Amino acid sequence: MTQDTVLIVGAGPSGLTAAANVAAAGYKAVIVEKEDVLGGAPILSGYAKLVPSGEWAKDAIGRMVSRVEDDDRVTIHKGVKVEKFEGEAGDFTATLSNGETVSAGATVLATGFTHFDSINKPEWGFGTFEDVLTTTQMEQMVAAGKIACPSDGRVPERVCILLCVGSRDRQIGREWCSKICCTVSANLAMEIKELSPETDVFIYYMDIRTYGLYEDKFYWKSQEEFKTKFVKARIAEVTASGDGRLLVKGEDTLVKRPIVIPFDIVVHAIGMDPNMENPEIAQVFGVGLEKHGFIERAEHYTNTCGTTRKGVYSCGAAYGPETIDDSIAQGAAAAGRAVGDLHALVQKAS
Amino acid sequence: MAIHEKSLIEAERLLQHDSLVVDGVDVSGHWNTMITPRTIKDYDDDFEAKIQTYSGAENVHRCWQCGSCTNSCTMYAQNVQFNPRYWIYLTRLGLTDELIKDKDIIWQCVSCNKCTNICPKDVKPEGVMKALAHWMEEEGITEKSPSTIFDEEFAEQIYHYGRIEDSKVMKNFFKKSGQPLIQGWLVEFTKRMMKGLPIAHGFRMGMNVIFTPKTKSWGKTGEVLQAYVREQKEAAHG
Repeated sequence: MTQDTVLIVGAGPSGLTAAANVAAAGYKAVIVEKEDVLGGAPILSGYAKLVPSGEWAKDAIGRMVSRVEDDDRVTIHKGVKVEKFEGEAGDFTATLSNGETVSAGATVLATGFTHFDSINKPEWGFGTFEDVLTTTQMEQMVAAGKIACPSDGRVPERVCILLCVGSRDRQIGREWCSKICCTVSANLAMEIKELSPETDVFIYYMDIRTYGLYEDKFYWKSQEEFKTKFVKARIAEVTASGDGRLLVKGEDTLVKRPIVIPFDIVVHAIGMDPNMENPEIAQVFGVGLEKHGFIERAEHYTNTCGTTRKGVYSCGAAYGPETIDDSIAQGAAAAGRAVGDLHALVQKAS
Repeated sequence: MAIHEKSLIEAERLLQHDSLVVDGVDVSGHWNTMITPRTIKDYDDDFEAKIQTYSGAENVHRCWQCGSCTNSCTMYAQNVQFNPRYWIYLTRLGLTDELIKDKDIIWQCVSCNKCTNICPKDVKPEGVMKALAHWMEEEGITEKSPSTIFDEEFAEQIYHYGRIEDSKVMKNFFKKSGQPLIQGWLVEFTKRMMKGLPIAHGFRMGMNVIFTPKTKSWGKTGEVLQAYVREQKEAAHG
């Protein structure tokens, strides 16, 4: 009986939600996760406090993990991938890299994204200077509870966060806004100031996209309560000052003047790339990718969470840059689509 | 070769020797012209907090550069160099050199408060303009305004005598602000006042100007008052 089972690929926020909702509807969920731990990017990259709840990632995502681990209707395969995927809606067979096979009536691709690799923007100093970090590394520093320059452990006088690193940049083929970096950066600026009150935090931006309810809770709050300075400037390069600090060079577009400003730590607000394994995923599951390389979304209005293949659904950051909260909502939606369509198939057969 | 774009460059950034010979070559005049870079090298991290100590500028840190203030500004309509949004940005980052370049415009705010009304983040740009003007005055970047000179003269007499003598305040104010002591309106004013003034009262006024008696038991009150005002100012502006 395959029509009572949904295969879920990926165990991040959206996949974990999809599994929990499939199980709650009385169906069986089989999770296949390529990593050895569940939780996806927030756990694998060691995020600090999540936006917008302010809850520590390990606590919030930890609850999602234990919810599926404690559910008898959910089977979990860790450290394996789907290598072969055959059949049609209502009757799929997936062959895993450990040789096992899974039969399922529907599949949800909750395969997420890959963080932009700042090495692809070498002029901004990542990989060259120890004190140039990414937002995920800075999150880890916050989670560890101490703000210090990696080079010599000194407390930074000044930290700057550069927005749109690996987003909205045609030069490197990233023609999308990664949606969350503005808010995450404002949140990070507050966390830095909280841990290290003597550190001044500057955010260099093209424009600020703390959309919806993030406006006052993050943008305004970081500015008004945590004294984060927002500088409208495009950065040309990050170099060394010669006295152990970093120089951020660019143009302040409001003052219309070149700037060369010393900083102790430079943080890249890295964007969300398509999952680097998407070409393989697309081939194995027979689904299309949209022009940026994310999973191609079916007609959305009546085929919500659909892909180019019937019976294969998707959700969250697999479709494009997405917040954790919306990934969770989409995971629930994808589960609803999957079990709804399976139910319809059974009704039709009887 | 002459630099034809000189008109686009601030005069103080042009370096040029009228006569200069280098290794026996005459490079006088435009042949040796150099231009100092216009790069901004650092921020004054404490400047925003300093301006916030002036009444009216407390909310300057809220500005997100939407430009509503400049858009609504009465003075901007007269002169596009008058740009509150820009000065607030300079204030926030502590780009004081840039602010000082506009020292002769910033004080021109007419306090119509259209900006205060329209600002979506309640920055009170009018208050920031006043704060900047006061800061420049206190730092000696701009000349003291007539009202500041008047206030100082008024306060000085209070500290010293415990009272003011109107005609003495006016006399010293005119002197310090470079105005003639004899002014048409004042002459007319005095004439009309004298008409109905009892002779004894007029005599007392004259004596007061010459001898300026102190308020009874004034003693050290003036010094204490002055010290208190100084303390309050220091507490506010550092």
